[in-house]
Amino acid sequence: MQRCLECAKKELDRPCVECRYFIQPSPLRRVPSPPVRVFLEDEHGRQYPAHILALNTTEFGLETEAPVPGRYVIRLLESLWIEVAGVPFKGKNNVHVFDILRVHRKQGTARRLSKEEYQLLAGSAGELIQEISRHLPEHLQDLVREKLLAEVEKSELINALKVGKVMKYEGGRFRYLSGQADLDLPMEEAEKLMRQVTRQAEHRREVIISADGQKVFDLHGVPFDHRSGGLLAFDITEVIEKERKMHRQEMQAYREAIAAVTGGRLYLVNGEEMEKVVSEGIELARGEVRRTHDIPEARRAMREALPVLDSRRRHAITLCLTEALANALKHAGGGCWQARQSGDTVRIIVQDRGPGIKNSELARATLMQHYSTKNSLGCGFTLMLYYADYLYLNTGPSGTALALDFGVVPADRLKQDQ
Amino acid sequence: MLKVDVYVARGVCRVVLNGELDVETVAQLQEVVGKAGEHTLEVDLSGVSFVDSTGLKSLLDISNDWRQKGGRMLILRPQPDVAEVMRLVGLDRLLAQNTAPGGEER
Repeated sequence: MQRCLECAKKELDRPCVECRYFIQPSPLRRVPSPPVRVFLEDEHGRQYPAHILALNTTEFGLETEAPVPGRYVIRLLESLWIEVAGVPFKGKNNVHVFDILRVHRKQGTARRLSKEEYQLLAGSAGELIQEISRHLPEHLQDLVREKLLAEVEKSELINALKVGKVMKYEGGRFRYLSGQADLDLPMEEAEKLMRQVTRQAEHRREVIISADGQKVFDLHGVPFDHRSGGLLAFDITEVIEKERKMHRQEMQAYREAIAAVTGGRLYLVNGEEMEKVVSEGIELARGEVRRTHDIPEARRAMREALPVLDSRRRHAITLCLTEALANALKHAGGGCWQARQSGDTVRIIVQDRGPGIKNSELARATLMQHYSTKNSLGCGFTLMLYYADYLYLNTGPSGTALALDFGVVPADRLKQDQ
Repeated sequence: MLKVDVYVARGVCRVVLNGELDVETVAQLQEVVGKAGEHTLEVDLSGVSFVDSTGLKSLLDISNDWRQKGGRMLILRPQPDVAEVMRLVGLDRLLAQNTAPGGEER
């Protein structure tokens, strides 16, 4: 205790924060930069402004005109206030150590700061909150503070779970606030995002793949003002991997279910399998559809190209071609078709570059009877499922391909058989 | 291609279609029917060689419209291929022989 007195005499200008006897250097000692502004309130309600120069979970190093020794209350938030007592022999002039006596919060009281409260102050989110809400009309201040604190608490959660990283962006520079410190973010992309966020003053979210293609990051930018904001980053590589795996499993389940329900006639095939399906046999005809007028044209071309058949079969093939083309037109703005023959099978193929059928819609779109009354797609598929012998469907975000097989025992041979 | 002829007599509007009723031509039928105000609407399909799901849906919509207005719509004489498609999607109930038993229409 002599040291501080001596220092006050000999080295008046030496900042206490730099002194190892002030608040002992330890992993929990933090020096908020800039210092966090708070108020000390004495038992009579008198308020003294103060700056938190340094802290750990049991002590504050404060710069304040408040008399020491003395007991005060620091109100951080409506539901969070701290009782402190100045320690006269630790510090000099208007800088002193204040012991934390009690921390009062909604959930009860404690002898020290919780991890969240400590980081709120040390990580300077508190300063951020103070800073932002200071310029607001009084009646809005509490509201805004509460909202911001909720945000910070969310980031504390991230911190606790070690799943993300929270950074503050200000004038082109990033400062780490909390969370996963070792997250190796593509900073160039992050900065680009934050520039847009602060310039346009709106929240933005982007999914970014690292330069080596190994990692996927989910970045959230939140603007504070025209030059600063917060960046929330998650490494979602594993999530994406899992999603892909689940998608594959889901597809497999669908394939099996749909094949089973259709008595093994409708197959969901992958792109590679579809390549094979669309290239087997010899081409009879092909065409393109861009508007409804092209559909009767396609039907006419199809009829001309078909081998001699009984009328019911001819009708079935042209009807299915019509339905498939109408779907392509409706959902993809058009598509191309071809008819191929191998042996006694005619295969018609319709391909489009639309957004594809979602997994969740697939069963409904292909299997539900009388979906027709609401949507002609389902009705069309009901017809195709009825008339075609085999159906092959490949669908994804880059388009849909549908192939339908029809057995075409020639009319004359059919007569012989009978 | 679709040819649409309309005959009106004694509260019955008969629409006689010739050709193909599909996504391309369905608007022609809708336009004619939109102008009709008779209690009974008859759609004669004997000259129609082809109806697709859009055509079927349009027939269903027209039938529902007519029922809502307190009238009725009948489909007459579809060709076998067309009748099969109608049966498949459950529209055969709109056929004249089902909705007008006992031949009281004729």
